[in-house]
Amino acid sequence: MANVNVYEQLDEAVEAIITGASVAGSETARAGEDAHLVPLIGLAAALRDLPRQDFKARLKADLRRASMATLAEPVPAMGQVVAAYLTVKDAARAIEFYKQAFGAVEKGRLSMPTGEIGHAEIMIGGSTIMLSDEFPEHGGVSPETLGGSPMKMHLYVDDVDAFARRAVSAGAKITRPIADQFYGDRSGYIADPFGYTWIVATRGAMVSLEEIQKRLATMAARPERRQTGVNPVPKGYRTLTTYLVARDADGLIDFVKNVFGAEEKFRSVGSAGGRHAEVQLGDSMIMIGGGIPGGSWKGDPLPSAFHVYVSDCDAVYQRALDAGAASIQAPADQEYGERTAQVKDASGNFWYVATYKGENYKWAGAPDVQPYLHPLRAEPVIHFMKRAFGAQEMGRYTAPDGVVHHTTIKIGDSFMEMGEAQGVYQPMPTMFYLYVPNCDALYHRALGAGATSIAEPTDHDYGDRSGGVKDVFGNQWYIATHIKDM
Amino acid sequence: MVVKAPAAKGSRGEAEERLLVAAAQKDPLRFGELYEIHFEQIYAYISRRVGSRETAEDLTSEVFRRALTNLTRFEWRGVPFVGWLFRIAANAIVDEAKRSSKEVSDLEDPEEIAVAEVDIADAIHRARLFRLVEELPADQRRVVVLRFAEGKSIRQIAGEIGRSEGAVKQLQFRGLQNLRSQVEKKPGGKNG
Repeated sequence: MANVNVYEQLDEAVEAIITGASVAGSETARAGEDAHLVPLIGLAAALRDLPRQDFKARLKADLRRASMATLAEPVPAMGQVVAAYLTVKDAARAIEFYKQAFGAVEKGRLSMPTGEIGHAEIMIGGSTIMLSDEFPEHGGVSPETLGGSPMKMHLYVDDVDAFARRAVSAGAKITRPIADQFYGDRSGYIADPFGYTWIVATRGAMVSLEEIQKRLATMAARPERRQTGVNPVPKGYRTLTTYLVARDADGLIDFVKNVFGAEEKFRSVGSAGGRHAEVQLGDSMIMIGGGIPGGSWKGDPLPSAFHVYVSDCDAVYQRALDAGAASIQAPADQEYGERTAQVKDASGNFWYVATYKGENYKWAGAPDVQPYLHPLRAEPVIHFMKRAFGAQEMGRYTAPDGVVHHTTIKIGDSFMEMGEAQGVYQPMPTMFYLYVPNCDALYHRALGAGATSIAEPTDHDYGDRSGGVKDVFGNQWYIATHIKDM
Repeated sequence: MVVKAPAAKGSRGEAEERLLVAAAQKDPLRFGELYEIHFEQIYAYISRRVGSRETAEDLTSEVFRRALTNLTRFEWRGVPFVGWLFRIAANAIVDEAKRSSKEVSDLEDPEEIAVAEVDIADAIHRARLFRLVEELPADQRRVVVLRFAEGKSIRQIAGEIGRSEGAVKQLQFRGLQNLRSQVEKKPGGKNG
């Protein structure tokens, strides 16, 4: 090939550009080069700055993390130059209390000859609080003497629920329950034994002042459209309800009715031409949606996995097989005191059927049905649920190899189980329906925890106000407040 | 404003960009979309003005971080979003020059840092070229990326992709030739 020399010539020029021997742009002036190489050399000079491929992706990931941090910093940075000065009856006891209840650290104290504390400083979080005993002759009187204090302290903490629990066990009282607020914080009031009130809060989503004002206006307007005295969680529901989506929704409804004796509570066709149904299985509800024969619904099935307590594991297992389910594990006694079986139904849902070998068919306090997630890694999912929904982890069993085999998560009054993916049990992104007192606040809190919006909260004609978010693991969470009994 | 014309030209429609900026101002997680659109332009602008790839990467990171932090302060006043990014980039370059106390021309009054139209046009042109590299046939793209972005020698590349040095040189030639014919097409395609 006559062109070989051209490749060599071009590469010599490229080599000079890359090594910096040739100044970009001056290549055209070089003598002895094939005229049609000149534009290619010009391009090569421009390409000298071609970014490294992994850099763009790495920076994008960094920026995403940074933007999540701007969204939700549990304790906002607050340059503090003003310190509260508390006068209390028995400052020594108060310091002990603040240490126990709020994790305060004593910086120092000055004792008077009479034994009272003339001045003391403690640190809570990064802030200094000053305090002293009462000295009425110098105008220092405590709330106990005055019969109350108009002044409240505001305290940002990493985990307001845990903080409040600790404070209560040290003798504080909760005077306003910890709850999600429309302005993005999760907060409540704590009264200490010395007459002071502390507003304790964890920042959820960062909400602009403008947006808070807007929500305030919406909230002020809404009560007219709301029935008063409506329970935000409708009767028969728990905080968490799993929403299964199946191609043959009616087939799945029949399956849970025939196999588990579930009771059909509601069945309709939605605007998208798909089924929406609600069935009660023991003390829990399951929502089922998806396709029906002749319907126009088009979507992807969303099967999940459940742990179901039944009175007769063997009978349920047999009924499941008769109803077309595949056996994953035949009934067997387990060393942890349950007889269990595992099946997979025709819609792809896994059912761990269990009968507890105790006084009852389930252990005290267990719900009849619990969703069971199999994420690749449990930790980030749990972290998200804690931040987004205030979930609590009830106990974890981790194998020596670090794999989380089993853990229980509590959200509101509901339980969910989790075990990292193994064998046939692989991640199945699941749809959940949550009933909470204030869906707007929780929706924004979930976004603050890194979820993305599926739908902003709106009032629906079926009596719920709800919005939806999707977490980074693919689970969808519809967050609802029941506003009107139909 | 010097930056207005060239940046508005050849980038997305202003209305669309306004929506993206407004969305990101409300929800910082959507900043990624603006980043995707402007990454190459800012990188191209900076890399031409600094000595090393590492510095270019550091400064590009800094520009987008500053932009993310200050996003709510950005207002539409006839300057397109990318013009604002170029200003941040120009400032970041000056700051870096001060840090390394290198001599930089046109630095008498840092308050007056202007981003010249010709520099922006050049950055936008090269940014387009960087994106076109992604559309090259796989073997040509690999050689171009390894050679230019990673700065590898023909011999190293030959070893890495299991081809002869002559074949690598030929792929380099074909890649550049391919890019040339793409560049000469009118902008306004997928990336325009």
